[in-house]
Amino acid sequence: MPNLPIEDRFKISPFLVFYMITSMQIGIGVLGYQRLIAQYANEDAWISVLIAGSLIHIIVWMMYKIMETVDGDLVTAHIYVAGNFIGKLLSTFFVFYFFTYSLTILRSYLEVIQVWMFPTMSIFWFTLAYLLLCIYIIYGGFRTVVGIAFFGIVLPAYLFLIFGFNLKFANFEHLLPILDNSFKDILLGSYHMSLTFIGFEIVLFFYPFIKNPQKSKKWAHLAILTTTLLYTGLMMLTLSFFSEEQLRKSIWATLTMWKIVQMPFVERFEYIGIATWSLVILPNFCISLWVASRLLKRIFNLQQKKGVFLISITNLIVINFIDTREQVGLINDYTGKAGFIFTFLYIPLLLVMVLIVKKVKKK
Amino acid sequence: MKRWLNKKQNETKPNKADWEKTLEKSNDFTRSNYINQKSNVHFCLTFIATLVDEQIIQQGVLPYLLEGELKTLEDIKKTVPSADVEISNDQTVIDKKILNGYIMLTIDSEPEHFAFIATQKEIVRSLSPPEIEFSVIGPKEAFVESLGQNLNLIRKRLPVKELIIEEYTLGSLSQTKVAVLYMEGITNEDNINTVKQRISEVEFDAITDSSYIVQLISDNSNSPFPQLLDTERPDRIAGILAEGKIAIVVDGSPHVLIAPTTLIEFFSSFEDYFLNWILASFFRLIRGCAVLFSLLVTPIYVAVLSYHYELIPKDLLGTLVTSRRQIPLPPILEALFLELTIELLREAGARLPTKVGQTIGIVGGIVIGTASVEAGLTSNVLLIIVALAALASFTTPVYKMGNTIRLLRFPFLIFAELWGLLGIVFAFCIMLTHLIRLTSLGRPFLEPFYPPRATDLKDAFIRLPFNKQTLRPLFLRTKNRTRYNKKKATEKKDIDE
Repeated sequence: MPNLPIEDRFKISPFLVFYMITSMQIGIGVLGYQRLIAQYANEDAWISVLIAGSLIHIIVWMMYKIMETVDGDLVTAHIYVAGNFIGKLLSTFFVFYFFTYSLTILRSYLEVIQVWMFPTMSIFWFTLAYLLLCIYIIYGGFRTVVGIAFFGIVLPAYLFLIFGFNLKFANFEHLLPILDNSFKDILLGSYHMSLTFIGFEIVLFFYPFIKNPQKSKKWAHLAILTTTLLYTGLMMLTLSFFSEEQLRKSIWATLTMWKIVQMPFVERFEYIGIATWSLVILPNFCISLWVASRLLKRIFNLQQKKGVFLISITNLIVINFIDTREQVGLINDYTGKAGFIFTFLYIPLLLVMVLIVKKVKKK
Repeated sequence: MKRWLNKKQNETKPNKADWEKTLEKSNDFTRSNYINQKSNVHFCLTFIATLVDEQIIQQGVLPYLLEGELKTLEDIKKTVPSADVEISNDQTVIDKKILNGYIMLTIDSEPEHFAFIATQKEIVRSLSPPEIEFSVIGPKEAFVESLGQNLNLIRKRLPVKELIIEEYTLGSLSQTKVAVLYMEGITNEDNINTVKQRISEVEFDAITDSSYIVQLISDNSNSPFPQLLDTERPDRIAGILAEGKIAIVVDGSPHVLIAPTTLIEFFSSFEDYFLNWILASFFRLIRGCAVLFSLLVTPIYVAVLSYHYELIPKDLLGTLVTSRRQIPLPPILEALFLELTIELLREAGARLPTKVGQTIGIVGGIVIGTASVEAGLTSNVLLIIVALAALASFTTPVYKMGNTIRLLRFPFLIFAELWGLLGIVFAFCIMLTHLIRLTSLGRPFLEPFYPPRATDLKDAFIRLPFNKQTLRPLFLRTKNRTRYNKKKATEKKDIDE
């Protein structure tokens, strides 16, 4: 397929990359990453988060290096390195990656809804409604997808003010002693941040849609910095709010923290939180659908209109088969691992390959 | 054969033309013959009596035709003191001219030529204060139904040569005159071309009001949201023309259209610009909250009482439960019943004459409301909520947007019944997506929120003082962005200086 340049009116301003990345990163992971990290790093869990965040800055730098060298998205990079056929074959894996990603997000969110709000919520109908909404969004073009990402960050931002209620009950002595755990444990904690942190890799796929991609670099890094600080702050607050024993039992620590909110007209704030969270989940789900269908277009020349339908229908069928808590946990684990492999192993490897091929081609 | 046909046609020519045959069927079609007193030339006047002003004919045309030097048609231009005299030999324009209120003058000696003299009867309603967009402060003139009068109201507010007025005639039957107004050197060319193109592409038989144009040229006609703003205030039109927008004036309509627009404009009243910026911002924020309240409060009531009792603190829940204790209906039916009642009242009030309408309001509001609470059909808490929501929806300064908001409550209600709070957020997401996708003349409708443009936020939720608004809105892509040079405006350097 010829690498068609994107028309200017479909492109987005560089600063919107900030919202794309943050909205893709903040998703289902935030609701309960604390327990998982604290299992390994205990009171140093926030250091794990900080380390993971700093490493991601390097990966983002690498991603931009790849894209600048080949001047295109991941598919272009693959073709650059491995030729047309193998390049497209390699890219096909990422259709599955984003398909699984979208599945994981929606199913985990449904799990939260079933546990906290509606135990009998029908997976099928909710998924159908959500998919129809996403198709409507994606049909509006990339700018609409970015718009949803923007509002998916801006509108639910008020939820973070709610943590002010938890500050009253926080005991920051829980954070002491600092660096009491082995470095290995802390790194293990960082490794388990994968699921919560992944999402920034989408830049690899919408790079051709950015006006002045050079300028978007700083926004990408700023986005990573924001999420890192946010996660670190929330981790510190969680560690000081819960005792070790309590945290071990809180699967969704963030939701539990909302429970203590009390206002003259609202109690049990987590209901509002969970409902609002569907606005946070929406860009996650929608962007991964968009990327998957975009990849189908780039690889198989399939119209994106049809690609979205194809992926949505597959999604709608497959999601019914994940129906126990264990399976949800499993698919979360796998996606986290896949994300880790993609971002921390594959991207550096690809960068090396791209640089080698570039030198060979120059000669 | 052909020749014979041609000959036949030539022979029929002195006979009556098509237009004449059709027009003669109408009783107001008049034709009268006169003789000039000086040259004894016979001439004939043809006109439609209901379209022409008899006074003009009797005082401004006939005396000159009867007593002046009249030998050829050319002489009319000298004798008749009217600026709009035209001589033509084109048969096809005759019916159009006559139907536009001209009188046709023919002389026996020149059967091929016709003179047209303008004698239109202009029935203009006198200017009245704006009724829909009333403001306590500010000008009290509103547009009327006459295009010429409306253009005059705008022109006199912007007496510069840069104000361009282009006229079009639309509607195969109504032949409505439509004028497109913009400021040369300010308004974006693309916007002007889009408007012109869409207007010239309009295909419809009768355009009787500007709202027809709105529906025919909007970007998405399947949206409940109005995408062109209409106003009856000439001052508002002058204001938006200076900003770099385009106005569309339709003959026969007291509402002038504004394009392109953004969502936020539908919630800003023009009075905001007459008030001090602090007050104006405060009122705008109140209106914004009122819209959200009106949209969400009944759905939230339904969601909470159907699914999320735990959300409400004990004391407040007590009040709610007590008021609902004897209600046999589920919250959704209760809410739908009341919402529909309010809609009925509004519709009845809008259709009835003003004085009867007020009575209906009182009867409906007080009698039905109290009675339904006493009968145990609705809870009084919900009655308060629904009434407040209806009140809040009427704070929207643009009538059409108020209608949209009231309509949107119903899908929200249904989603609230389906999935509780989750459903409300879901419905909100649908609305948000729809708004992100909407454009007005190809410009994003949600601007300045998305795409986020900080400079345009100065006149959105709040209205900053005029000395902070030195630039025209970014989304209009105007040719000249500066409204005025800030350096020229004097600034205080220090205290007491």
